[in-house]
Order: sequence, then C-alpha cells, then structure tokens
Amino acid sequence: MSLQHYLVISAILFSLGIFAVLTRKNAISILMGIELILNSCNLNFVAFSRFVTPSENIVGSEVFRLDGQIIAIFGIVLAAAEAAVFLAIILAIYREFGSIRPDKVDTLKG
Amino acid sequence: MVVTLIGIILLCPLAAFAIFALFGLAKRSFPRQDLLSTAAMLVALVCSFILLREVVPDPEPHTVDWISIGKITFSMGFYLDSVTVIMLIVVTLVSSLVHIFSIGYMHGDPRYPRFFAYLSLFSFSMLFLVVSDNLLGIYIGWELVGLCSYLLIGFWFEKDSAANACKKAFLTTRVGDIGMFIGMMMLFAKFKTLSLYDGSENGIFTLVEGLSGTGDMIWLSIAGVLIFCGAVGKSAQVPLHTWLPDAMEGPTPVSALIHAATMVAAGVYLTARMFPILTPGSSLVIAYVGGITALVAATIAIVRFDIKRVLAYSTVSQLGYMMLAIGAGSYVAGLFHLTTHAFFKALLFLGSGSVIHAFHAMHAHHNDEHTNGEEHEHDDHSLVHEHGSEIPPDQDMRNMGGLRRKMPLTFITMLIATLSISGVPFIFSGFWSKDAILGGVLGRAMEWNSVHHYLLFGMALCAAGITAFYMFRLIFMTFFGEPRNQEMHDMAHESLWVMVVPLLVLAILSLPVVNKLWFNKDYIIRPDQPHVHAPQHAYVSPDTKTGDVDFGIVFFGISEAEAAEDEGGQDIGHADDAHHAAHELAHNIAMVLSIIVAGLGILLSWLFYHRRRFSAESVATKFSPVYNLFWNKYYFDEFYDGVLVALTVWKSRLFAKFDLSVVDGIVNGVATIVRQIFAAFIGFFDNRVVDGIVNRVAEVTWAAGGRIRRIQTGAIQTYLFVVLGGIVLIILIFRAL
Amino acid sequence: MEFTLKTFIFYGFALITIASALAVVTVRNIVHAAFALMVTLFGVAGLYVFLQADFLAATQVIVYVGGILVLILFGVMMTSGRLEMRIHIERGQLLLGGGISLALLMLLLTVIANTPRWENLTDDGTPLEPTTKQIGELILNEKFLLPFEVASVLLLVALIGAALISRKEVRD
Repeated sequence: MSLQHYLVISAILFSLGIFAVLTRKNAISILMGIELILNSCNLNFVAFSRFVTPSENIVGSEVFRLDGQIIAIFGIVLAAAEAAVFLAIILAIYREFGSIRPDKVDTLKG
Repeated sequence: MVVTLIGIILLCPLAAFAIFALFGLAKRSFPRQDLLSTAAMLVALVCSFILLREVVPDPEPHTVDWISIGKITFSMGFYLDSVTVIMLIVVTLVSSLVHIFSIGYMHGDPRYPRFFAYLSLFSFSMLFLVVSDNLLGIYIGWELVGLCSYLLIGFWFEKDSAANACKKAFLTTRVGDIGMFIGMMMLFAKFKTLSLYDGSENGIFTLVEGLSGTGDMIWLSIAGVLIFCGAVGKSAQVPLHTWLPDAMEGPTPVSALIHAATMVAAGVYLTARMFPILTPGSSLVIAYVGGITALVAATIAIVRFDIKRVLAYSTVSQLGYMMLAIGAGSYVAGLFHLTTHAFFKALLFLGSGSVIHAFHAMHAHHNDEHTNGEEHEHDDHSLVHEHGSEIPPDQDMRNMGGLRRKMPLTFITMLIATLSISGVPFIFSGFWSKDAILGGVLGRAMEWNSVHHYLLFGMALCAAGITAFYMFRLIFMTFFGEPRNQEMHDMAHESLWVMVVPLLVLAILSLPVVNKLWFNKDYIIRPDQPHVHAPQHAYVSPDTKTGDVDFGIVFFGISEAEAAEDEGGQDIGHADDAHHAAHELAHNIAMVLSIIVAGLGILLSWLFYHRRRFSAESVATKFSPVYNLFWNKYYFDEFYDGVLVALTVWKSRLFAKFDLSVVDGIVNGVATIVRQIFAAFIGFFDNRVVDGIVNRVAEVTWAAGGRIRRIQTGAIQTYLFVVLGGIVLIILIFRAL
Repeated sequence: MEFTLKTFIFYGFALITIASALAVVTVRNIVHAAFALMVTLFGVAGLYVFLQADFLAATQVIVYVGGILVLILFGVMMTSGRLEMRIHIERGQLLLGGGISLALLMLLLTVIANTPRWENLTDDGTPLEPTTKQIGELILNEKFLLPFEVASVLLLVALIGAALISRKEVRD
C-alpha cells in the first residue's frame, strides 16, 4: 500500500463530494457531499503524515509523525461544528422558504 | 535712535486707531478712547521734542526697499532735517492740544470714541507724510490725510450739508492730486526714482542738479507746476479753494487741526520740500497763485457772518501767503509763517469752538423744545453755500456780541491770536513771519527789478491790511458791544478747563519770546552739511547767488525777534554787502508798510464795528457790485455749479442717452440675433445630439443590465459551478503553460 | 506487491469506501444516501487503521457516525416531507457537474501520477502501537495547546450560533 493508493482514494472521494455539492437538489445532500470532501482531506493529511514526514527534515521545526493525525482531529471538530451550523441554517431556511431545495432559495436573483 | 523715535511717533497714534478698529470688530469701543488717543499724541509730542534736542541734524538716510518691479525699486524711508522736525513738532503739538480740547468739546457726542480714533489716524497719516523721504511715501500720506479729512468733515453725516461738504472736499482735492500724480510720474520718468534724498547720488535733488538746457528747464517747470497742483488742492488755493470753507461743517476741533494747522499746511510743506526742483517759471506761477489766493480769500472774509467761515477764508488767505513766500523764494519765511500760523490759527479755531460750544449747549437745549425744526430747513441743497439764512445760529456773529465779560479767557486768547495774525508789531509772532514774507518779496522785487514781484508785494500788502480789518471785525462783533441776542447771551458761559487750557498754551505759543525757549540756536542746520546744500541756486536765480532761500538759514534763528529783524529771512550765507544792504532796505520798507496797513485795517474795523462811525450796510449798498462779488465769493461756486457740475451732468445725461440707445441697442440687437439664431441651433443640438447621446447611453446600459442580470440566478449551485469551472480552467491553463 | 491478506483487506476497504461514496451521491432517496454515507465513513475509518491511526479511526466512528450522521438524519426528518425524500435531479446540471468533477478527478490523478516524490513511498511496516497517549501529550503540550483551545471556543461558538439561528423567533 503506497501513498499513491491513498491519494487516489482521496481524489475519488473528493470528486464525488464535488459532484454531490454541484448536482444534488437537496441541501442535506450537499452537506453529505461536503462531508465526503472533508473526509478526503483528512485522509490525505493522515496519509501524508504517515508516508512523507519521516523522510522530510523541515529545518528549524520538530515535525512528528502524528502531526497530520492531530490536524485531522481538528478537521473532524470543524466538520462537527460546520454540520451543526449548517443544519441550523437549513432549519431556518426551511421555515423561511418551506423548502430546502437550493434552487428555490434565490432571493438574490438579479 | 532716530528710527526708534520716529517709529514711536508714528506708531503711537496708529496704535490708538488700531485699538479702536480692533474693538470695532467686536462691535464695542475701548472704554476711554479719548484718553488713549490723547496719551498717544502726548507721547509722540515728547518724542518730537527729543528729536529736536538730540538728533538733528541727522544726515543719514533711513530707507528700506519696498516694492521691486523689474529693475525699478521703490523705497520707503525717513528723512530728517530741520523742516521735518519743525513739522513734527507743529503737528504733534497742535494735535495734542486739539485732542485735549476735544475731550471737552465733543463730550456727549454719540460717536465720541470714533472721533478720537479718526484724529489718531489723521495724526499718523500727517506724521507719515512729513517724515517720508520720497514722493511715493508723501503721496500715500497725502491721500491718507485726505481720507481722514473726508471722514472728519462728514463726521456729523446725518446733516446733508456735512455729507455734501465732505464729498466736495474729497473730490476737489482729488483734482489737484491728479496733477500731482502726473508731476510725480514726470519726475519718475526722468530720474527713475521717487526718492528725494537717499544718501547716495540717486535722490531727485541730487539728480536735478545735473539737468541743464532750456528743454529740461521747461520740462522741469511743468513738472513743478503739476506737483504744485496737488498743493493747490490740499492747501485750498485759488481756484480749488472752495472746499475749505464748506469743510467747516465738520466739528470745530477738526477745523482747527486739519483745516487750519496741519493738513492744509501739507500743501505748503510739499511745495517747500520740492523747492530744489522749482524753476523761475514754476516759482512765478506758485507766487501768483498764492498772491491771488491771499487777496481773494481776504476780501471774501470781510463780508462773512459765520464765525467759522471767516476763519476758513482767513486760513485760505494765509496759506496763499505762504505759497507766495515760497514762490518768491522766501523759503524760510514761508515755513516760518506756516509754523506761527499753525499756532495762532488753531487758537482762533479753538476759540471760536469755545464760543460755539458755549452757545451750542443752549442751542441744543433750544432744539429739544422745538423738536429740531431748524435742522430740516437747510437739508435740500445740492452743494453747500453760505447764505445768511443758512448760518447755524450758534455760529452767526450777528447773534454774538459782548462776550468778553462772559468768556474772559477765550476773549483774551483770541485777541492775542488776532493781534498776531493782523501783524501787530514786535510782540506777536505773526508780525515777524508776515513781515519776513513781505520783506522777502519786496527784496526779490528790488533785486531783480521785477514787475511781477512788485505786483505780488502789492497784493500781499493789501491782503495784510484786509486781514487786520476782518479779524478785528470778528473780534468786535463777537466780544464787544452789546449782546444782540439776549437769550443766547444769557446762556453763554466760559468753557471747561480742558478747553481753556489748550487755548492758553496756544496763546503763549503765539508770542515769539516763548518760541525762543524751545527753538534753540544750537540746532541750526549748518550749510556745509551734505543734505543742506542750496540746490535751488541754479534754478531760481541762475545768475545771482542770492535769495534768502538757503536751507542753511536758519529757520530757528528767524523765529527770534532780533534774527528776524536783522536778517528778515535774508541771505546770510552769501555775505555780499550790497545785496545785504538792499535786502535790509527792502525789509525795513516792508516792515513800515505792513505796520501802516495793519494799523489802517484795525482803525477802519474799529470805526465800522465798534464806534459805528460808519455803517457797514450803507457802504455795502453804495458799492453793491463789489459787495455782491465778495458776498458771492467771486462766484466760484456758482461757476463750478453752473459750468463744471452742469457740464458734467449734461455730459453724463448725454452718455446715459448714448448708453441707453446705442450701446444698449447694439447689445440688445446682438442678444436678439443670438437668441433667435444661435440659441435655436444650440437648442436643436442640445435636444437632439446631446440628449440623444445621453438617452442612448442610458438605454444601452439599461438593456445590458437587463441581460446581464440573468447571470445572477441567486441559486448557490450556479455560483459554485462558475467557481469550480474557473478553478479547473485556471489549473488547466497553468499546466498547459 | 505481493497479494497478502493485508492488501486484500485494504482493497476491500477502498472498494467499500468508494462504492458507498458513489451511492451517497447517486441514490435518489436521501435516507438511503445517509446510510451510504455511514458506510463510507466506516470505510475511511478502516483506512485510518491501515495508516496506523487507531485513535483517529475511533474518533472518526464516534464523531462522524455517532454524531454528525445522526445530526444529518435529524435534519432530514425535520425538513423533508415524504415527497422530498427523493432527490430531484436535473439532467443538464448532472452532466455539467459530472464534467467538472471528472475534470477535477483527472487533474488530481495526473498530479498524483506525475509527482516523482510521491512514488514508491510504501508503508515502512512500523508495528502498530497505540497513538492515543502521544496524541494526548501533543495536544495538551505547548505545540497544539492553542489550536486546541481555539477549537473548543469554535465549538462553543458554533453551538450558540446554531441554537440562535434555529430558534423559531428572534425576539428583540
């Protein structure tokens, strides 16, 4: 299992997440797409920290193998916060527009 | 030292005025402007005396460059010689006394502080004029005193007569000033400088020595006469004298300060200053103008009833005397008379002011009862003329009489001044100065054997006799006899001490003995000093080294009785026995004649107005053409009214008509054409082209906005498409590169 | 690369992850999509295990599956009526989105394939040891203490913000 395996998996997840965000007509599905993207990023962090860090000597700073994992933990935290706020916004939108279809929410339409 | 003293002298009155002006900005007035201005003048007076004691002679020029235009630089500076210092003392002394007098005289006036501020401004201007070392500075001071004169004549501008008088004074003197300005420009064109002396070789008086040839002499004569025009206006010489009597509409202290002692003497001062550039021709013109003025004004004064107008014409006459003296070469005598005249004429005016004030209080009281009925009677006159009915009752000598018991101090001081101006011999200063003039003119006549100067001497002598006559007429009518208006007489009273003290001081100054105390012989300007050379020799009398016109003579000396007697303003610098003897002879003849005519005048006056041996009225009817000529002031005003003013009005009407018909017609015609054709075209262009462009632009913008706004769907995924598509494109582009 | 059990399991996890992610973005029923997402998250957690990140794998399961996914399901319940369980799809949008995603994928794959530094970096076979203690020390030491505190504040803010936004009425 080389680094490139993980990177390919991560790239596929990322593309699928982008696809979901672009095409799904449901705000919650968009949220799911975003979660996919975040997961792909986390996967990248962990993979790079696993494979790249030991052979790198970044001058002047102590780089541990676990740094990528900790960043990923923070990423999960961000994802949790984001999900909470996102769902709150979805609720508010639902109350305001009676729908959570993103193309129905077009108050800014020119 | 000199600069400091002159600075103090100039700045004190200016500061007094500035304080008034600054308070004026805050719409209030300095609590004791009167004391402030008076104190400023007293400081200036003290400094002037210090200058006399300590600093003269001071040959150094004190000059700074003021304006530079190309290669030409105008400078400003001070020049001090004996004449300057004498003028400084005369101005500051009279001004101080007038300030003090005014504290009493103007008391209760609604514009009391402003009066003193104007007096301060005037004093500053006059002093500035006197100390300037160049014609430009003199001209600036000249116009400033003209302005102050205007302001002060029109001080009671509620009266139409005062408002008209100040306008008349301003405009009339302006006529002369134009001549003066042209004269200055002529000198400037020739010499490229306006400095009189500047220490080096570039002053006008130095340069003027280098002139030669008849062409230059004619040119110089014209320039001299033109500059003298300014003096004619300012010193009220014929034919521009008509403003001075009307100027009596101003408050009496103003008449004393400006229109008797100082400003009108500025003309004489200017002529004396310009003495070195005078040629025989211009001198003769000046002498004739002075002589005619002396005679004409004196004859008019005989028949006036307004006490101030008598004095005004007397002033005109005496100024003519001074001009005559300078024109005839008796430079020192002219300036000597200027000084003595300043004191005794200021005294006469202040004395008359005292009398008027005594009556005025009553008069004002009277007016309160009669609701100002009299004031409106003489409101509607376009120009101010003195006619019997127009004399204010408190100035009409026919209402006076017998006042010597009511106002003894005023009477005595005015009597001294009258004796002085009349030329009563030996103990009064006027005698010596007038005698110096008469002697100088006669001496010149005898020496040159000149008909002109004999004629001038005759005029001066007649004027001297007439002066004695009308001055004693004034005294007899005012102070002797029985009261003519009992009601007014009862109200009259001696004036306050602030008004009497200046009278006493001036009376003392009218005695030459006193002058000797402060005109010290040690300060005589010696002739060998560089700035006291006698540049006029080559011009006034090219062939003889004579004339009593030497700067070196000794103005101070002549103010002493024996000096006047011995030298009579004659030549001491050139001890040529024959000339000296001739002058002494002339002087003695003149003295005898002047005593005779003065005595004659006084005697006639006594017979007419005191003893009533002859009736003035019957003489007037017998010689009615002459009387009418005098009464109507030689019809100068009528001439100006009827010819000059009417001509101006007619010309203005003509121009107005021309303006209305031709100029306006052209303008209106052009306007119509423009409106019809040009405006139509412009309107078309505006509507079609400009509006069209604007509207098209607006429409295009509107349509484009309508199209483009559809891009903004408001749907979030559309934006995401664009963003991500953009990212992909950018990456592709950069990879391709 | 020899085909061991380990690789077999790895490919299995990879396949599960990708397939379920595909399902997340394609299935019409949103509840099904949510369950597919759960599978994906599990798959990623498995991959974390292969990367020797045991703590992270556990966290992934607990937070994502236990927290976020439940939150999503609540959102679905509260906002979707029966009709909106099915996700509406537009064909044009689908094509365009697919194009862009595919282009992105291709780009990423070319980058991965053409970066020499990343080639032949294989697992060095370090034995699996627990990372929890090290992570705890790192977070509570100076190195990540500040981000940790900031993250806690962020969570608090998100909590308050979410509560504020989703309130029925905003009283003045």
